Amino acid sequence: MLRKIEDWVNERWPLPDVVHLALDEEIIGGARIAYTLGSAVLIVFTLQALSGIVQLFFYVPTTDHAYDSISYLRTKVPFGWLAHCLHYWGAQVMVILVLLHITRVFLWGAYKKPRELTWLAGVTLLLITMGFSFTGSPLHWDQRGFWIGEVSTSVAATVPLVGDFIKHLMRGGEEMGQLTLSRLFVMHTAVLPVTLIALFGIHIIAMRRFGSVGPWDEKRRLQKGLFWPDQTFKDTLVGTTIVVALIALAVFLPPRYTGPADPLDISYIPKPEWNFLFLYESLKYFHGRLEPVGTVGVPTVLILILVLLPFIDRNSERNPLKRPVAVTGALILAGIIVAMSIKGYLSPGFAQPPVSPKPAASQERSVPRGYGMNMPFTGISEASPAPPESAARTSSPPSAETNPQDATDKGLPGQAAIIIGGAERGDPLFQKNCSPCHGPSGRSVLPNPGSAEGKVPSLNPIDRDNYSPDAHVFAEKIDRYIQHGSVPAGSHPVITMPAFGDTNTLTQPEIANIEAYILRLNGVDRGQVIHPGIEPQRFFLLVVVSFGLVALLLAGLWNKRQSRTG
Amino acid sequence: MLDEEGDMNEDSPDKGSEQEAATRRWFLKVAIGVMAFLNGLLLGIPFINALISSPAKKKPQWSNAGEMNSLPEGQPIQVKFGARTEDAYHYENVLYSVWVIKHSADKVTVFSPICPHLGCHYLWNQEIERFTCPCHASVFSLDGKVLYGPAPRPLDSLPYKIADGALFVRYERFKVGVPEQISV
Repeated sequence: MLRKIEDWVNERWPLPDVVHLALDEEIIGGARIAYTLGSAVLIVFTLQALSGIVQLFFYVPTTDHAYDSISYLRTKVPFGWLAHCLHYWGAQVMVILVLLHITRVFLWGAYKKPRELTWLAGVTLLLITMGFSFTGSPLHWDQRGFWIGEVSTSVAATVPLVGDFIKHLMRGGEEMGQLTLSRLFVMHTAVLPVTLIALFGIHIIAMRRFGSVGPWDEKRRLQKGLFWPDQTFKDTLVGTTIVVALIALAVFLPPRYTGPADPLDISYIPKPEWNFLFLYESLKYFHGRLEPVGTVGVPTVLILILVLLPFIDRNSERNPLKRPVAVTGALILAGIIVAMSIKGYLSPGFAQPPVSPKPAASQERSVPRGYGMNMPFTGISEASPAPPESAARTSSPPSAETNPQDATDKGLPGQAAIIIGGAERGDPLFQKNCSPCHGPSGRSVLPNPGSAEGKVPSLNPIDRDNYSPDAHVFAEKIDRYIQHGSVPAGSHPVITMPAFGDTNTLTQPEIANIEAYILRLNGVDRGQVIHPGIEPQRFFLLVVVSFGLVALLLAGLWNKRQSRTG
Repeated sequence: MLDEEGDMNEDSPDKGSEQEAATRRWFLKVAIGVMAFLNGLLLGIPFINALISSPAKKKPQWSNAGEMNSLPEGQPIQVKFGARTEDAYHYENVLYSVWVIKHSADKVTVFSPICPHLGCHYLWNQEIERFTCPCHASVFSLDGKVLYGPAPRPLDSLPYKIADGALFVRYERFKVGVPEQISV
């Protein structure tokens, strides 16, 4: 039956040829771990495609909800955290693997005739990978991604003559905004994937045409291996190791929340992704009229070197020890890039304190995201099945519409309460706005004569009435104080809590960040996963145990076979 | 990577017979299949799970519709109250309106403001002490019964709770135009 189906298909479609193209290749010198890098890139790309598609079911590319949709995916969708964090780490690892692959190909001299086209397609694939990296981070529309987008599109504007046009094209207008996000989104999820797959086709067909280049040593070339299954086995081993490592990264080092994009937060010092750090650093050396040398010249020269390499270096020698000029040149170039990346990494960035005070609060401040205006919920109602306690205390006035002033003593939670802020971003904001009264880390509080308590309430630990192990509930409780301020009980309290939200002293993203920080002071993670599917750490354990069992099983099988043949 | 001597491969032709190579390759194919399958399983199940899971069933939302004291007794009154609706990552504030008739300090009737005929908003006519719908002239008594007109069922009453002197209402919508009360 199976045979019949196979024949039927074969008559109409060249299945054997395709299988042959995919699998049948003699590996000169035998299969090697060093040759697994290309397959590893393909495996990680597949993982990126799958985790990306999962994210597309939940993500929306709109400036007002992109950030919240990712927060929702990460905390409330079973295994949404896995899809998102794998995608994040997969992106980093994919860049590393592409670079390792290109290094391996260079050392083996595999770019030389007749493999120039394989190399050129590969260089283009490297650029596409960088393009993915470039268009990916702003999609989150968080503080980090927004500023990466802002600065890198500004870099494009320094291109002589056509710079403004390019920037306009990338942003879809003058300012970073909805059209920018839409453009980056379409590039990241439609244009680049299709281009990558097309070029991958060219790359792999060109590669199979002449096979892998094999060892340069003539004696070792006498050995023969097969792509299927010898090399494929090693590819699978390496691929599996990478998948397990990525899961470990996703579980133990999930990307941090940096709070929603906030163009008004000038304390944020943006830095590019690590793989663009060398370019970022190189910009520092060119000023004024020379600026385009850094922004355009350096990347253009690097790309030209890669593109022209097989045409400049036409010597057929492949042993790296006998190619001193090429190898030394590459080492120097790589050394410069690595050194500049490290320098860029170490240069003050995220951790630097605010450079200048924020502009005075005014009603005119607005944030494109839609959080700039303080919009406390009117007539809120708690989603609680049993109203008597929680709802009655925190809930709304009889009719919020007719009687807005009567909104209990503290008013209702604002927009910030539903945003998952970044505790790291909240830290400096807290030190600046809250610690004067609540003390650094919310601990050493000022005396407050005239108040019933006699001192400003401690936030670390916070009083039990305002605490909740549920991050969302906790945030809502403290949000009401930060939005609307508070007058402590007592005859004439000297210090009262200002209404940071109502007066627009702080933007909603800033308040969300401060809340995340206060939650962390009290041991609650604002980004706690509510519906994990399986708890991340337990999931990792499951993965390790599964692969451990399979390894044992395979070892047993191997031994049995060996003893039978031996 | 440069060390050609430290090669990982075991394919030297003098190492074993054809038979041995065949066995080894059979094993490699099995190992590839098993590992690939396990990778697919460990990632495929979570990813599919993310897609087939439906968001946690929404708990009934009780909204504070005001103080009991402010309601007149025996007299229908239109009460408006705000509530926050949650749809995945969209939070919206909406204003609901219901008809409330207070019978005693702990007993009320709450009617949905929507006429069960075709979804119009009916009104209270003080003169005849009836609810009347302006669209198709259905008339309902104070307890919601259909007295006249095309309405297929009585007015829809909504669940309520009274706690700490405040009225809590769970707002719901029902299918119109059918004799049964079907929640939508």
